[in-house]
Amino acid sequence: MKATDRVLGILLLVLAVAYGWGATQFPVPFAGPESVGPSTFPKALAVIMGLCSLYLVVKPDESQPWGGLRVLGELGLALTILAAYILLLEPFGFIPATTLAVGALCWRMGVRPLKACMTGLLSGTSVFLLFTFGLELALPTGILELH
Amino acid sequence: MEVLHYLLEGFGTALAPENLMYALIGCFLGTLIGALPGLGPANGVAIMIPLAFTLGLRPETALIMLTSVYAGAMYGGRISSILLNIPGDEPAMMTCLDGYPMARKGKAAEALALSALASFIGSLVATVGLILLAPILARFALSFGPAEYFALFILAFATLGGVTGKNPVKSALAAAIGLAIATIGIDLSTGTQRYTFDVLELFEGVDFIVAIVGLFAISELLLFIEDHHGSAPRAGVIVNRLALSFRSVLQILPTSIRGGLLGFIAGVLPGAGASLGSFVSYTLEKKLVGAKGCFGEGDPRGVAAPEAGNNGAASGALVPMLTLGIPGSGTTAVLLAMLVSFNITPGPMMFTQHADIVWGVIAALLVGNILLLLLNIPLVGIFVKLLSVPPRYLMPVVTMVAFVGVYSISHSAFDLFFMVAFGVLGYIFRKADIPLVPVILGMLLGPEMEKNLRHVLQIHDGDWTMLWDSGLSLGLWGVALAGLVLPVLLGARLRRRMRPSLQD
Repeated sequence: MKATDRVLGILLLVLAVAYGWGATQFPVPFAGPESVGPSTFPKALAVIMGLCSLYLVVKPDESQPWGGLRVLGELGLALTILAAYILLLEPFGFIPATTLAVGALCWRMGVRPLKACMTGLLSGTSVFLLFTFGLELALPTGILELH
Repeated sequence: MEVLHYLLEGFGTALAPENLMYALIGCFLGTLIGALPGLGPANGVAIMIPLAFTLGLRPETALIMLTSVYAGAMYGGRISSILLNIPGDEPAMMTCLDGYPMARKGKAAEALALSALASFIGSLVATVGLILLAPILARFALSFGPAEYFALFILAFATLGGVTGKNPVKSALAAAIGLAIATIGIDLSTGTQRYTFDVLELFEGVDFIVAIVGLFAISELLLFIEDHHGSAPRAGVIVNRLALSFRSVLQILPTSIRGGLLGFIAGVLPGAGASLGSFVSYTLEKKLVGAKGCFGEGDPRGVAAPEAGNNGAASGALVPMLTLGIPGSGTTAVLLAMLVSFNITPGPMMFTQHADIVWGVIAALLVGNILLLLLNIPLVGIFVKLLSVPPRYLMPVVTMVAFVGVYSISHSAFDLFFMVAFGVLGYIFRKADIPLVPVILGMLLGPEMEKNLRHVLQIHDGDWTMLWDSGLSLGLWGVALAGLVLPVLLGARLRRRMRPSLQD
């Protein structure tokens, strides 16, 4: 699989060029242009990044094989779960969101659904109790809030 | 004698009840982190940082706790090496060679106890070395100017891959990416906005704690999902009742002292690290007493040597970290992140400005080792039980703890999304064999490195050759160059020699 290095090399080369170009667009500092300024270091880095990524394109290594579509799907699902966790953390509250997120991750890694949910609920509750009463740090209570 | 005075004061800090309690917690968690395969020491320490932060610990307490985690992880790595023949972390792989055979002979308890003892002695020897060497090195480093510092940073990057590193170009690329990330935010000396795209959250730059936790913890989760390593490793051996004879303790004593010394040297040298420390001390021990022993079939000395070596190296690696501010390994890089986020500039000035912290940490290392020895011999059963928790339960919970840590620093969803993004980046980099540690080191050292570069250029009106003008800086550049070239020449050979000895 030499393609990994090649593709990554090209992407990083584009990034290096964009980064270097970005450095030339900084506004001129208040004291007037100087030989050494905020753009000196980024420009040097852009050159190094560019050269290294060129090397990757020209002389790629054998790298690890990528998983097939199934693996890609699983990874996508895991990332979706994490994103949902972040979005639900405050509105739902820590314990319900954690139960769902940890439960879903456990389930995708091969634990049976009921056991997975229990893992989420138990770990979420214990971390919540530890943080709220042991360490006196507030985690969002969300829908479980007592009025 | 000045050293002794500071050290006593350090003990005063380390033995304060609160610090002692956190040291104990750190030792326990560290051993656990080291023991669980797949949760490496750098990863474990990274998850602990935001927690230490949100607890509102004072810098010395936080650092003492994390140093204990660090020392504990080195102890823990051996448990799964001995019982499962799977190293808990990379330096522990040499312990498999004699540890697992010994366990299969029904001497698992002895192997665990002797290796704990060897770890203790190795670490003790190396900590004494640290106490003697660090102040001298710090005093020497005080004479460094900006050009020398810049060369020193280059040296740190060049040697980070280590003599066993694979592709130096990928390490350099990783370092450049890390440094580039460090330039995001408002430039400190002119106030120019760089790469912020007018996003308010980027004005202060990228928080490297968020980045580190993402790069390590989230990418680890993604790799686990891909590999389906969900089930627990089967313990092939049963832990017997401990029957330790005084003779076998005496037998490993010289081995452990030698191993500790070698490990210390390997730890101090830039780019060598704990893996090489344990490899060198095992090989030497085999050469030295090989004829009289039964190495590879469960010789106690074959368990003691690599354990003393990797614990020695762990303490040795703190020397360049504390005195020069350049970490020699991934885990010390993460420890450095902790220092930087407490607004303590690592480097030689730390010994004068923050003497209490430095010596508190060194004393904590000694105290921590005693705690670890006490923890490890009677409590080894608990760690063995926890080893049998399958990763498919563990990894999601660890990920959740990482989320909680980052969330509790800033209460911002932006940081959490950033963490996940860094996780994806870390996953892609690991698939492409691009090392992650230089990225982190780049983010950490970037601001200091740029500051020194601009000092040199400003003083000499933009003359770049001034970077290698003095003899000292020229020497540092030379070592850096050697650090880049040597792995290409020697690395393949060393890797070959380390590999077959493992497959036997």
